[in-house]
Order: sequence, then C-alpha cells, then structure tokens
Amino acid sequence: MTALSTKSATTSAAKSAAKSGVWIGYLAVLFLLPQVFDSILAISIFNQMAIAIVFALSYNMLLGQGGMLSFGHAVYFGLGGFLAVHALLLMESGSVYFPIALIPLIGGLTGLLAGIFIGSFSTRKAGTVFAMISLGIGELVAASSLIFTGFFGGEAGVSGDRTFGPPLFGMDFFSDTDVYYLAAFWVFISTVFMYLFTKTPAGRMANAVRDNPERAEFIGYNPRWVRLISFCAAGCFAGVAGGLFALNYEFLTDENLNLVTSGRVLLMAYIGGLGFFIGPIIGAVILTLMNFLLSNYTELYLLYLGILFLLTVLFLPQGFAGFIMMHQAAWLRGKLHTLVLPYLATGLPALLFILCAIGLLELAHASGAELHYLGLRLARDSLPTWAGLIVLAGLCCWLTVKSTPRLRRAWEAAQ
Amino acid sequence: MPEILVFATLNGLVTGLLLFMLASGLTLIFSMMGVLNFAHASFYMLGAYFAYSISLHFGYWTGLIFAPVIVGIIGALVERYGLRRVHQHGHVAELVFTFGLAFLIEEVVQFFWGPDTKNYQTPELLNFPLFTLFGQEFSAYRGFMLAISIGIFIGLYQVLTRSRVGLIIQAAITHPHMVANLGHNVPLIFTAVFGVGTALAGLAGVIAGPVLTTYPGMALVLGSIVFVVVVIGGLGSLPGALLASLLIGLLQSYAIAVDVGMPELLAVFGLEFPRDHPLDDLWTLNLTRIAPILPFLLLVLVLIFRPTGLMGKREQ
Amino acid sequence: MSILSLRGLRKNFGATEIIRGIDLDIEPGEKHAIIGPNGAGKSTLFHLISGKYAPTSGSMAFKGRPIENLPPHRIHRLGIARSFQVTNIFPRLSVLENIRCALLRPSGYGYSFWHLLDRERGLNEETGRVLERIGLAERAKIPAGEIAYSEQRALELGMAIAGGAELILLDEPVAGMSHSEAGNAVDLIRKVTEGKTLIMVEHDMNIVFDLADRISVLVYGELIACGAPAEIRANPQVQEAYLGEAQGNA
Repeated sequence: MTALSTKSATTSAAKSAAKSGVWIGYLAVLFLLPQVFDSILAISIFNQMAIAIVFALSYNMLLGQGGMLSFGHAVYFGLGGFLAVHALLLMESGSVYFPIALIPLIGGLTGLLAGIFIGSFSTRKAGTVFAMISLGIGELVAASSLIFTGFFGGEAGVSGDRTFGPPLFGMDFFSDTDVYYLAAFWVFISTVFMYLFTKTPAGRMANAVRDNPERAEFIGYNPRWVRLISFCAAGCFAGVAGGLFALNYEFLTDENLNLVTSGRVLLMAYIGGLGFFIGPIIGAVILTLMNFLLSNYTELYLLYLGILFLLTVLFLPQGFAGFIMMHQAAWLRGKLHTLVLPYLATGLPALLFILCAIGLLELAHASGAELHYLGLRLARDSLPTWAGLIVLAGLCCWLTVKSTPRLRRAWEAAQ
Repeated sequence: MPEILVFATLNGLVTGLLLFMLASGLTLIFSMMGVLNFAHASFYMLGAYFAYSISLHFGYWTGLIFAPVIVGIIGALVERYGLRRVHQHGHVAELVFTFGLAFLIEEVVQFFWGPDTKNYQTPELLNFPLFTLFGQEFSAYRGFMLAISIGIFIGLYQVLTRSRVGLIIQAAITHPHMVANLGHNVPLIFTAVFGVGTALAGLAGVIAGPVLTTYPGMALVLGSIVFVVVVIGGLGSLPGALLASLLIGLLQSYAIAVDVGMPELLAVFGLEFPRDHPLDDLWTLNLTRIAPILPFLLLVLVLIFRPTGLMGKREQ
Repeated sequence: MSILSLRGLRKNFGATEIIRGIDLDIEPGEKHAIIGPNGAGKSTLFHLISGKYAPTSGSMAFKGRPIENLPPHRIHRLGIARSFQVTNIFPRLSVLENIRCALLRPSGYGYSFWHLLDRERGLNEETGRVLERIGLAERAKIPAGEIAYSEQRALELGMAIAGGAELILLDEPVAGMSHSEAGNAVDLIRKVTEGKTLIMVEHDMNIVFDLADRISVLVYGELIACGAPAEIRANPQVQEAYLGEAQGNA
C-alpha cells in the first residue's frame, strides 16, 4: 500500500512537472517567435495567430466543452473590438488616459456583458434551438451595425490609433512587434485562464451538461446556469480577442461582427479538434498559416478551405488534435515506428494526388496561357498537360486506395 | 396609398410563396431526419446557376425543367454519401457538415461561374405587363412565379395527404422506427425526401434567379431568411412554414413600401431632436432601413417567448 | 414526523391516468420498497418525487417542505438523490469524473469557477472512497460510456449514493445484473444507506423482502397495500394482483 501510494505520488509529481514544462515551453515559444522570425510579414502573421488562438479557444468553450453550437460568436469578438476602438478614440481625444495594455480588458468586459445579456435568454436549450438563436442574434447585430452608423461607422467601419497611450516598458506601440509582445502576454494569460476553467467545477459540469443535461439536473445542477457560465466566459475571451484585433489593425468593420467571422472561428476550432484543449490552438495556427501561404498565390484559397473543412467533418471528426491523439496508444506501446512505412506508402501517393488535383483546378481557373505551378510551366491549351495530370492523379488515387488496407492492418496491429 | 398597399401585398405574396418553396423542403427534411440543412439555400443558388447555363443554349423552359432535376440528384447524393456518414456523430456534426457544405457550394459556384452577377433573363414569352393598376405595372413573370409557387404548394399538399408515399412520409416524421419496422425502407425515403426537397429549392432558384439576380451571394442572403421562416413557423410544421413564409414576405414588403419611422412616431408625441444628437441614428430610424433586420428580430422574439415556433410541437 | 409525505398525488398524460391518487408517508431511516406489475406507474412515481415530471394534482412534502413545484436540481439540493432504471450517466467523462460531478453539489462547490478540482483534497478522497465502495477504483480513468453494463449499473448506483443524500431513490438498482453481482449490490446498498432513508423499485422479490422494512404495492396507479413484508406476503389482494400473476408467469 505504501509502495503503491509512493509510486502514484511520484507519477503525479512527474505529471505536474511535465505540465509546468508544457506551460513554460508555450511561454518560451510565444516569447521567442519574433526573435527567430523577425520580418515584418512574420510579425503580422504572429499577431493574426495570437488573435485567432484566443478567439478559437473561446469558441471551443462553447462548442467543444459545452456542446453549444454557435453561429454568432463574432458578436462578442466584434463588440469587444468596437468598444476597444472607441476607447482608443477617447484616448486620442484626450478624454481618458490609461495604459494601452489594458485595451483587451475593455474588449473582454464588453464581451462578458454582451454574454450575460444574450446568454440570459439563449442558453435555456442547447442543440438546434441554441444554434438558431445564435444565428438570429448574429444576423441581427451584424445588420444593426450597418444601421447605427454613429457607433459602428457603417460600411466604412471605425478606426483608431493605438499610439496615444502612455508607453509601457519603453514600448510605444508604433511597431507591430510591440503589439505582438502585448498580444503574446494576453494570449498566454487567456490560455491559462481558459485551461484552468476546464478544471473547475463549473468547467467540468459544462462537459457533464454537454453529455447529458438531464442527469446533471439530478445531481443538483441547473443546465441553464451551467451553460450560461460557459457562455459568459466564452463571450469574455472572444471580447479579449476582439480587443487584440482592435489594437493590431486599429480598424473594425461590420465584417468583424457577421457570419463570415463566426463561420471562420467555427472552422478553426473544428479543424483543430473540438475534443481537446489544444485543438483550437492547432486550428488557429494552421488556418492562419494557410491563409497567408495560399491566399497570396491562389484565388481558390477559400475553395480549398471549404474542401479541407468538409473532409475534416467527414473523416476526422476529432480534428487534427484528435488525429494526433489517435497515435497515443501506439506510442505508449512503443509501436509508433511500425506505422511509418505504411503511412509513407499511403501518404506519398495521396499527397501527389492532392497536388495533381490542385494543379488541375488551378489550370482550369488560370487566366493566362501559362500556369506556374511547383516550378513547372503548364500550358493551358496543351492536351498532354491535361492528360498527364489526369492520368497521374488517377494513378496516385489508385495507389492510395490500394495501400489503405495495409495501413489499416498496421494500425490495428499497433493498438 | 391604396396602390402602394396592393403592390406591396402582391410583392409580399410573391416573396412569401418563394420562401415557402424553400421552407417546405427544409421543413420536410428537418422533420424526417432532424437535420436543419444549412446548405438548403445553396441548392436554390445551384438551381439558378444551372438554369442560367442551360438557358444560354436551350432556352429558359428547358432550364426550368432540367435544372431542378440536376439539383435534386446532387442533393440525393449529398444525403447518401455525406450526411448519412456524419449522422453517427450526432446533430451538431450534421449541422456543422451542412454549414461547411454551404460554404463550399458558394466557392464551387464562384469557381465555375465566376464572382460576377449573371445576366439571367426572364423568358421573352413573359416579358409583358400582366395588368396595370393605378398606373403601375405588374409583370407577367411575377404572375408566373405566383402561379408556380401556388401550384407547388397544392401539389405538395395533395401528395402528402392523398398519396401512399405521402402517408408513409407523414408517418416517418412522427414515428421513424415504427415505419422502418413496418418494412419500409426509411433510408431510401430519407434520400428521396432530401432529393425532392433540394429539387424544390432548385426550382425556386430557377424562377427567382432572373428577378432577384443570380450571383454567388444569393444563397447567403436568402438562406438565413429561410431559416428564420422555418424556426418562426415551428420546426417541422408545414402549415407553420407557410404561415411564417407569408408573414415574413409581407412584413418585408410592407416595411419597404411604407416609409414611416421614428421621426413620424416622435412627431405624434410632439417631440423633435436636433440632428447632431449622439443618438441621431435612433431618432431617424425608419421602417425601410430596418426592413432587413425585422425577420431576425422576429426570430429572436419568437425563440425567447415561444421556443416551439408559431405552430411547432417539439423543441428539438 | 415523516421525511416524505405524498397526499392525493395524481399524474395524467393527456387522457391517460398513470398515478391515480397516492397517499404515502415514509418515516426517517425507513427502507421502503415499491412493487407492482409492469406499467403500474412505479417509475412515474419516482419521476414525480424527483421532479422530472410535475404532478397533475396533489402535494408532496420533503421534511415538511412542499416540493411538488420544484425543478429536479432544487429537489436534489434539499437532499433527495436518485438512480435511473435505464443507465443515465455522462458517457464521455471518466468514471472518476462521473462520481466527482455527483459529489460537487453536496460538497458545496455549486457553480464555482474559482476552485480547481484536482486540488480539492477532501473532494478527491471522498471520490476515491465512493469508487472503492462500488468496486470501480480500477476503472476510474476509463470513459463511463466504455465500461461494461454491470459496471455502469454500479456507477449509476454510486452517483445516487455519492452525495450522502438523506433520501435515496433507487429505480431497479440490480436490473440486468448477474446473481452474484446483485448480491454484492444489495450488500452495498445496505451499507451505504445505513442511517438514511431509502425508497426502491425492484422486481426481484428476494431482494425486496431481504432489504425492505416496509413494502407498498402499486397497481394501475393506486396503492393497494402498504405494510411490513410479512403483512404484504399474507395480503390476499396482493396475492391476487401481483404475486399471483408473478407466479402464474413463472
């Protein structure tokens, strides 16, 4: 018995050490990123990632942890952002004076208040009814923003200036790098709090209510209150993300409130993986990178994004994080290496197939006579090019399909 | 004033019945499968685009017949190979799937037809004013839209209440397991209903395309309104969907036609605010400007005070 | 004073009367069994007491306090916990989390978002004790949806008894268990309900006569008899309505 408890004590100590290691690593990555990649472009991408991470994590408090599918999460993001821009404007006009670092807090408070107000009547039910109310409110707020032009600036939006506040640690926020460090600080704080929330009674009961609201009632919890707490917390952190957005772009329009933004955060969280805390972070990073890498090179970026999203819903319902975690059992049993070859045998043709398919789509969509693709020059009106791509795509597809049974067997053997 | 009311009513009816063509399919699909198809309006858009392409080569009337059929086939395929697969992961996954599908269809449409508005024309045959009232013309094409919508409504009603298939569908709505146990192929019925529902949406697209313009954003604009309609009517209730369609259609039509607002309302109380008041936007609101948000306002109010909708029975 | 008293309790579903006027008093510390043929309304009665359904008419009082208009979570907070006939757990949460969730409200955590569950020593020790008691300590980390049926039944029972409620309602606690498992479950029920009040619905007559101090017989929504096991056994009406039928079936 003593031996057992000592052993469990050491493992739990090792676990908590590993956990703090992860957090320190996270902090280090956040801090070191702009030192390693210090181009203006890289910094601007990191800022987008930071905003996306907080926003996607807040969304997952609703959908992944609370089982509430929202089509209107941009409302809290946008309102937080607009209030933050107005705070910047007030500072510019000299009516108030406070540290710029606290701007995301204004966004957070706005999101929280909006969450309390809207959540008070929308969290009575989860499921379809909740989804519909969120959609209705999202459309209502987005449409209203075009009507109340005094506050929302109509189609043109509202812009502010982040450089009027007092400097902080010698940072005056003229450069995006200054904004990045501030954003990184808020990302870290928000991630910590959102993670800790999952470890509290309210956070755990959110999972319980998601799984079985009826049973939760018979252990003394009102599902509506449990949902409301998650909803408000999600609104608050979405507002923080909105505040960061306001600081980074100094500019908000109605698009930050509408279905496009709400849909994007759903995509991020879902592609990253709803069932895991880290999922939305992965989704935010992947989608931001994809957005940057692809949108400059192809007009079809959104088409690819749509295909990726549907494939994720169909074949990887647990998202990328779920895909990684699927390998945990094999890893624990030391059999991960047995999967490498089968993965290559299936993955390489699959990758080639994807490249061919993209090539075909781009070729079909290209406006000029030639398409520069992966170092190749493809002529639009050359039959051999088309035929070659189609044959290669077919071949790769065939190879992929042929090799999947082997992958499946290897997979089952490794479990 | 009377001419405004007459035309607003007629236009409201046209919009309302058009909405019902989408709402009826959406309602049937929801009540049978429990799936609120987010991509329903995307099939409406596909209908308009297919019909446009067909009409370029074979004329409007060929498009009117074939476009809905193609859309219905696509819909059935989506149900069979997409929805059925995610069904095992629950309602949220299904809703997310249809959301992704709506997103994808919009991109696919832009891929094939480009981002610009298509010059989809009403047929020559119907290019004349049906009647002229108070000096205003009511086009024959709008009359044709009304006729088609009413025809579809009557046909749907007959099929559902008179035919054997209709009886099975009605039974499958309330007792899906029972119907399956009676030996009916429920999955096949699901696919068929999904196909017919999307074909109806496609038909709505074919006839609405020339009037409401055919462009890649048309699904998004109408889609959320149709959602509002089925939720306000009561999820799964066909009479409710009809009532709500007409309500929303007329509401929007009147709101645009009758230009009254806060200034008039305030004038009744003898109040007047200076133009530079901080809440100027609020004091100068009028019905025309808030027309786009009326459906959503109505939706939120209905969901708060009557979550089952006007004529719905079940909440989930 | 009785801990639970039902007066003229009725429940209709549309035109169908399921519970047709029940008067019943449960004394503190009593082990009370409700028996009756299928469709007699036993589960409905539990749903009424625990607040899942609101009664059509009549009154219910727990320790003198009216509860007929309270929602389930309020009734639970007063000190009534229950289990379900059809396993009703949180399938994606681990066995341990299921028990810990059931302990949260009775331990006074409420909707707290400022306590960290893993740091709450008392809560976790109590969770461990409950897990030991229901024999699921080894399965603590597994998602509750993935354990065996009999283990889920034990978990269901564990969630009902975890908070130490004064009145525990068990709806067919040993349904679907093997003979030896049922024996263990009975020992467990006896142990954990010591000093508590227990109302149970059960079909297994051995268990009923073994555990109960008093038995009520419910037939078509009405109580036709109520008394000590020996009285019930001897009651001719009961013989006819229930035991007779059961013997006839066997």
